Amino acid sequence: MDLFLQQIANGLIIGSTYAVVALGFALAFSVLRVIHFAHPDVFMVGMFAGLVTAETFPFGGLALAMLGGLIGAGVLGYAIERTVIEPLRGRDVLTTLIATLGVAIMLQNGMALIVGPDPVPYPPLLPRRFLDIGPVSVTVRQAANLGICLLLLAFVSIYVRGTRIGRATRAIAERPDVAAAFGVDVARVCQATIVVASAMAGIAAVSVGTLYGSASAFVGLLYGLKAFTCMLVAGNRYFEGVAAVAIFLGVLEALVTGYVSSSLRDAVAFLVLIGVLYFRPNGLFGSYQT
Amino acid sequence: MRGNGLAPPLLAIEGLAVSYGAVPAVEGVSLEIHPGELRVILGANGAGKTTIIKTVLGLLRPRRGRILLDGTQDLLRCRPHQIHRMGIAWVPEGRQLWSTLTVLDNLRLGGFRERDETVVARRIDEMFQRFPRLGERRNQISGSLSGGEQQMVAIARALVSGPRLLLMDEPSLGLAPLVVRDVFALVKEINAMGIAILMVEQNARQALKVADWAYLLETGRIVESGPAAEVAGKESVQAVFLGGHA
Ligand SMILES: Nc1ncnc2c1ncn2[C@@H]1O[C@H](COP(=O)(O)OP(=O)(O)O)[C@@H](O)[C@H]1O
Ligand SMILES: [Mg+2]
Repeated sequence: MDLFLQQIANGLIIGSTYAVVALGFALAFSVLRVIHFAHPDVFMVGMFAGLVTAETFPFGGLALAMLGGLIGAGVLGYAIERTVIEPLRGRDVLTTLIATLGVAIMLQNGMALIVGPDPVPYPPLLPRRFLDIGPVSVTVRQAANLGICLLLLAFVSIYVRGTRIGRATRAIAERPDVAAAFGVDVARVCQATIVVASAMAGIAAVSVGTLYGSASAFVGLLYGLKAFTCMLVAGNRYFEGVAAVAIFLGVLEALVTGYVSSSLRDAVAFLVLIGVLYFRPNGLFGSYQT
Repeated sequence: MRGNGLAPPLLAIEGLAVSYGAVPAVEGVSLEIHPGELRVILGANGAGKTTIIKTVLGLLRPRRGRILLDGTQDLLRCRPHQIHRMGIAWVPEGRQLWSTLTVLDNLRLGGFRERDETVVARRIDEMFQRFPRLGERRNQISGSLSGGEQQMVAIARALVSGPRLLLMDEPSLGLAPLVVRDVFALVKEINAMGIAILMVEQNARQALKVADWAYLLETGRIVESGPAAEVAGKESVQAVFLGGHA
């Protein structure tokens, strides 16, 4: 029972991180109709932006590093939207997919040129101390990561449901033409969407760098494939659905690691996700036709 | 109400030609509508009715032609959201609600161009008074409503924007006969409030009863044009739409 609860906790921690990246993917796909393969690398750049901020201003702490991650990732996301995604709008999904994949490879290798191909140590922005919560034991870093990611997810939910621009975002996701004909400046909302998705990823990335104590130019690869799969499995009808699937994936992975074997972790997790797609090809929560 | 030759038409379409790729859908259409008028474009499936409407809205780029608002504003230079902000609202074919959004959120988006939230809230309240059933269902997902209720949401959504000109694309399509009667009564009522309406329809009998002026569109060309009562008497219209006993 204790192992079970412990693994659930571990799963929530990693799953909430997947969820933040997956939600960014889902926002880009639903609103801009682009499979934004550079998004996980925007996350990676956010991680390094936080690292540089923390090393430049050692007394700024986690908050300032996150601000650095937010700005670094947000600006990069905006630049990619303006220079790569926007000019290709209206082309088929494959064109933008290849273009953003190119950006992804450039970002990975560009960063590897600067920092080297191996992981580099991340500044200890939080203590490594353990917290005991009932039968479960987590580090301060893990608890902070879970809290930060859940806050980001809540923020997106409030943004898309409770604000004027957020409503316009969902309107574009389902019917871009009708949204435009009701006064929504689609191009502007697309930019806002990418900036929100990127900035969120940047904040989470600093937390993840702190959690593992390292950053790498290729960290995006780990999150990218999983986040992408979560989006497919959830479908693009409800953003919250994507977050739910990502958190579920994290828990599933943790349970497989705890009870079966860590080497089977990814295999089992992907098998389950693909199984879902087999029975619900439009995703667990449905998709808009695009 | 009719144009007096001095005031420019509210909307004037001149020599409009639109194609999908190489396939022409609309060929040299000219028409106009004056403030406060209710005009209808009649045409069979595939005649080009929706194409005309979407071009006015800025959602399609024409090959040729001009579209002028108030005689001066060239809509072909504007993007869709800018055209809407000039006071043109749309009731799309098949409703096209935001199906996962609530009735209330659909109406709020209808008022997107109005930045003053209290104005939007007041207009939405007016809609709920006019359509009590929508008021009861305000927090329901719009996709769960009946066809007739969805059409009311689509019309209310357009009205919340406070338009000068309403473009209605087959508002009676796919509705039960009793509901169709309600919809045409509503169209007349909206027009009586002073909102100009350009409607496209296949239900010629009902549309000709409410309209001031009618155009007949056949494979992308206007083949008849005149006061609704006159057009109703034309053989071409009788043959195609009215089954010979209008
Ligand atoms: N997206 C499209 N791509 C290609 N052809 C289209 C498209 N939409 C409409 N058409 C064609 O253009 C013509 C006019 O269509 P439309 O304006 O929708 O007619 P209506 O609204 O009168 O039924 C039809 O022949 C239709 O097949
Ligand atoms: Mg049509």
